[in-house]
Amino acid sequence: MPDARAQFHEELSELETMALGGLDLVVEAVERAIETVLNQDVELATMVIDDDDRIDGRYLEVHQGVLSLLARQAPVATDLRVVAAILHVIKHVERMGDQCVNMAKLVPLAGHEPPADPRLLQNLERMGDQARRQVIQSKLAFARRDVELAQDLVRQDDQIDELNRDCFHIALEIGDDPDRREWAMHMMLVARCLERIGDNAVDIGEQTAFVVTGLFREFEDASHPQLVPPAPAA
Amino acid sequence: MTLENASTTSGEDTLATEETQANRFERQAKEAKASEAPAAGRRVTLRGLKAYYGDAEAIRGVDLDYEPNKVTAMIGPSGCGKSTMVRCINRMHEEIPNARAEGEIKLDDLDIYGEGVDVVAVRRAIGMVFQKPNPFPTMSIFDNVAAGVRLSGTKTSDMKGVVQGSLRGAGLWDEVKDRLGEPGIGLSGGQQQRLCIARTIAVEPEVIIMDEPCSALDPVATLKIEELISELKQRYTIILVTHNMQQAGRVADSTAFMLSGELVEVDETERIFTNPNDQRTEDYVSGKFG
Repeated sequence: MPDARAQFHEELSELETMALGGLDLVVEAVERAIETVLNQDVELATMVIDDDDRIDGRYLEVHQGVLSLLARQAPVATDLRVVAAILHVIKHVERMGDQCVNMAKLVPLAGHEPPADPRLLQNLERMGDQARRQVIQSKLAFARRDVELAQDLVRQDDQIDELNRDCFHIALEIGDDPDRREWAMHMMLVARCLERIGDNAVDIGEQTAFVVTGLFREFEDASHPQLVPPAPAA
Repeated sequence: MTLENASTTSGEDTLATEETQANRFERQAKEAKASEAPAAGRRVTLRGLKAYYGDAEAIRGVDLDYEPNKVTAMIGPSGCGKSTMVRCINRMHEEIPNARAEGEIKLDDLDIYGEGVDVVAVRRAIGMVFQKPNPFPTMSIFDNVAAGVRLSGTKTSDMKGVVQGSLRGAGLWDEVKDRLGEPGIGLSGGQQQRLCIARTIAVEPEVIIMDEPCSALDPVATLKIEELISELKQRYTIILVTHNMQQAGRVADSTAFMLSGELVEVDETERIFTNPNDQRTEDYVSGKFG
């Protein structure tokens, strides 16, 4: 049957591609930010900060596209949910980009030759890798409308939370040297940024479930732990 | 005079019949209304409704409830049976040669196809507003509104009051109060449609059917009618046939989707436009066919 709103659906598809493409930019930013931290690379840090303009630009572009579609095309049903979800996705993209900037800004503060602890750096590397994988998974789940893959992000995020707690314990036991403690404090802020990126990926997973089921629920809600994610529509 | 031109009444030829006939339907309707305070719309219930044009089945067994004092929008592609169905509700479908309806339609507890029910009384209780504004071309604004009352045989000692009240109810009074003697046809399209609504409500119906009432109007006139619909539902049950999805979204409490003579889905309007149950509804409201 011919699509009576072919042009609208083409525009909507392009908008989704553009928003999900923002997640590719985030993956790149996470990779660079973690490399910056591991190598104390001030030059790369500057690049991460400057490149955030690309992510912010993408946010503005998608945001404007969403407003335009709402105003001109009055989407309904699944189309409406996709448009609403795209707005959430691009907001998370923008937030994740900002977390990468935050990580990059912590590098010069930590000094060029900091009293680094290899265990803490190793943990951060693993966190960075995990965050990166979660962002990729969130993109795939949304693009495929795959609720199971989206819900799996909760399990993935447990790993990043566990690594974050490990970082905290390592930082606690870092010793009495003030420089070393200051460095550890900054690295905890890096860990916090990565942990938040993981949360944002889970949020995108929740939007995937919303698009598919029409029901928005947090996958995990500390104030309502008994809630379970909505099941995919039959 | 055709039924379409009469809008809410069947015409003078049926008037004599009405006056001589024991009007059980109207009496019961009045009694029911008198017991209610304030005036409220009534429930229309369809059970197993089928409608035919000759041998062709246009409505294939529809069960549907139109809730009192709610706006129910009927949507669906052209030819799906929306207009046929609403014409069954005020017994206009049977006026077409070889057309007939089967099943049950009730106005609260009254079977409108029941034996001895007066068709004119049905059409007075269930008024209709059409796609194209159709004021009587030779009549003044005043007479257009009064015509509904006169043709339905209702006696009133205060026709001026009825006309004024109806024009106020249709949101037209302030625009025409100084020129009631001018021809109704001289009004703008939007005003003419509100004049037709005034003519409809002048006979104090219980239910108002609007069959694409804004399709011939500009956006501003459309919004005025939509605003009026929201006011009218305080007193009447409204059935709105529309091809305009956004109009259904703006004014209807419930929306029913029809396809090929069948009722696919009826639900709260918000549900229909955010997360409908049936894939065919989803495809239609999303513009994937139609």
